[in-house]
Amino acid sequence: MEIVGILLPRSTYYQTIGFDLYEGLRSGLKQLGRSDIKIVTENIGFGADKQQCYRSAEKLLLEENASIVIAYIGHQTAQLLRPLFLATNRILIVLDAGANMPHEWPTCPNIFYHSLHNSLGASLAAKEARKDGYKNAGMVTGYYDGGYLHTYSISKSFQDNGGTISFNHATGYKSEDFTMEPLKDHLNNFPESALLSIFSGDYVQWYFEQIKNTFEEQNLPVYLTPFGLEETMLGNAIYPGNNVKGIAAWSKKIESVENKTFIDTITELGKTPNLFSLLSWESATIALKALELTLEHKKSIPNISQDLQTLTFVSPRGEIYFDTKTNTSISPLYKASIISNTEGKCELQLEGKITEVNEYYKKLTDQDLNQTTSAWYNSYVCI
Amino acid sequence: MVLCGGKFAFNTLQLLAYEKFICAIGIGKSNNTIIDALERESEDNNLGFKSFPTKKSMEEMRGWIDAIKPDYIFCISFPFLLPESVLSYGNNKFINFHPGPLPQYRGAMPIFEVLKNQEKETAICAHFMNEKFDQGNIIFNDPIRIQENDTYGKLTVRLCERMSQVALNMANMLQFASNIPNQPQDESLAYYYEKPELTDTYINWKRMYADEIIALINACNPWNSGADTTLMGEQIKIIAATLLDKPHEDKPGTIISINNTVNVACEDNKQIAIEILSTEEGIMTAKEYALLKPLVANPISN
Repeated sequence: MEIVGILLPRSTYYQTIGFDLYEGLRSGLKQLGRSDIKIVTENIGFGADKQQCYRSAEKLLLEENASIVIAYIGHQTAQLLRPLFLATNRILIVLDAGANMPHEWPTCPNIFYHSLHNSLGASLAAKEARKDGYKNAGMVTGYYDGGYLHTYSISKSFQDNGGTISFNHATGYKSEDFTMEPLKDHLNNFPESALLSIFSGDYVQWYFEQIKNTFEEQNLPVYLTPFGLEETMLGNAIYPGNNVKGIAAWSKKIESVENKTFIDTITELGKTPNLFSLLSWESATIALKALELTLEHKKSIPNISQDLQTLTFVSPRGEIYFDTKTNTSISPLYKASIISNTEGKCELQLEGKITEVNEYYKKLTDQDLNQTTSAWYNSYVCI
Repeated sequence: MVLCGGKFAFNTLQLLAYEKFICAIGIGKSNNTIIDALERESEDNNLGFKSFPTKKSMEEMRGWIDAIKPDYIFCISFPFLLPESVLSYGNNKFINFHPGPLPQYRGAMPIFEVLKNQEKETAICAHFMNEKFDQGNIIFNDPIRIQENDTYGKLTVRLCERMSQVALNMANMLQFASNIPNQPQDESLAYYYEKPELTDTYINWKRMYADEIIALINACNPWNSGADTTLMGEQIKIIAATLLDKPHEDKPGTIISINNTVNVACEDNKQIAIEILSTEEGIMTAKEYALLKPLVANPISN
């Protein structure tokens, strides 16, 4: 029997993240006619404890004999696991939020990254702000979200497109410390500034509430990244105004057979489809191909890797293929805005698909990080 | 503990020290400036230090290791073979980081060999050490792409940077793993390359194709100050050249033209365009060579 391992994290504000990832993979394999594959799981907590991550991966490989391991982790943890996967000659599929940017983009044939591209989305959101005519912007984030290098991506992109970052505001991570009051002064000093905003989970809800309460009726121009436009959180967020937009990685509103199948399958299980179940649902296709190639190439990683790089498939968010330089999946991104539903909460409205994502991704991976570093090891949104 | 051979290990030493993995540094035969710099850094960072300038001095190694009691000993380009008396400090305690894929590229200068052989990829191989050079069980080969026009120098710098991360990964692995997966080397794939001699760095115009010559030139730059050859009866070294996909009707090794480059006929009806070369008069560009050798340049241009 084939065995696929999955490292599952936990998150305080996405409490079902582990179940979502597991269910997405299980349902994805079932959809592809491979319910026979055994899935073994290991818990990695918030993904920040190196020893826990290593030991969990080791257990899946050496005790459970998993042929492939899937893990919701970042680049730094993947680097930690790299020698283990090289030594055991197995494939690791990293489910990557894309929130951090590594100093050295990965080139390991054993590791494939399947990404939600939050940093790339951040870069494109800033580009949209410039296209909308904003010359000045402030980056608005929090202690937690601000620790990942999507912050660098959003600022750099705005500047590279001719804009000026006039101010930054990073708020606290506890509800009592979370405030948008300093934005009043910033916006007095720099009126007509776009707010390049990086938040996830509960923080999106807190942010919208404060924007609405502090800047009532002002319709501040807010630009968000894929995790800021995550639909399950938006469904509980107060509608802040009619000038909130950004770049989304996926939406329930994408009209395609593949998306409908995914949504129906997860919904029938009594669960709400989200970015995490989507990511692992898609990873089922990658894992199956990797298993097939492992047999075909008799575990020769260079050959498996070379063929896996050519995999393309249509997922609920569109066509997915790999950037061969970094072993990272490229997927469509969507321009989106926020509208109000009948209850005064937020809803995503798709405005168009972004073409040439691969070209933007190449630019992102080519840019110099100018000694900017991140010490956030945990998988994004896992706090 | 890290046993090293000099500058190639500096990035690794810095990173491992920053991550607080190092307790002592040993250096093999190296120049005094490097030894002094390492000794100073070791003192400043409260690390043990010892120099092993000769094979004879290796007799002191076991006592030094016993006094420091490291958990593991990493070797990066350490020039001497560790004797059984040292290796007996502990089973699977010594890990070598070989700057080439094993078992295919055993030997002292794998960077030269992979470039000369026009490989598309090389690796840093982490392996347990035994009493023979590069022959212990392999833990992993961490692959690195070879880029077009990589010279020995360029690839060495990239390997040196990558080595630090590979060694850190290995240190983390040792810290967290319940066991270290490893396997014996496949002897049917093994090859030991002796240290290159003149025959290995010499361009034989009659027997080598243009791409092989370019690969050899890149593989010799800068450590051998270029690839050795005889051109128009003179012993020279070619330091930098590119492939010129232009047919010709001359004998291999003949200078066909000199413009910004010295263009030389090759066996496979292609040419190589020499940009920089070294003669008895010194290192010079093709233009300078043309001025210096009018008798070589003029018959062709006339």
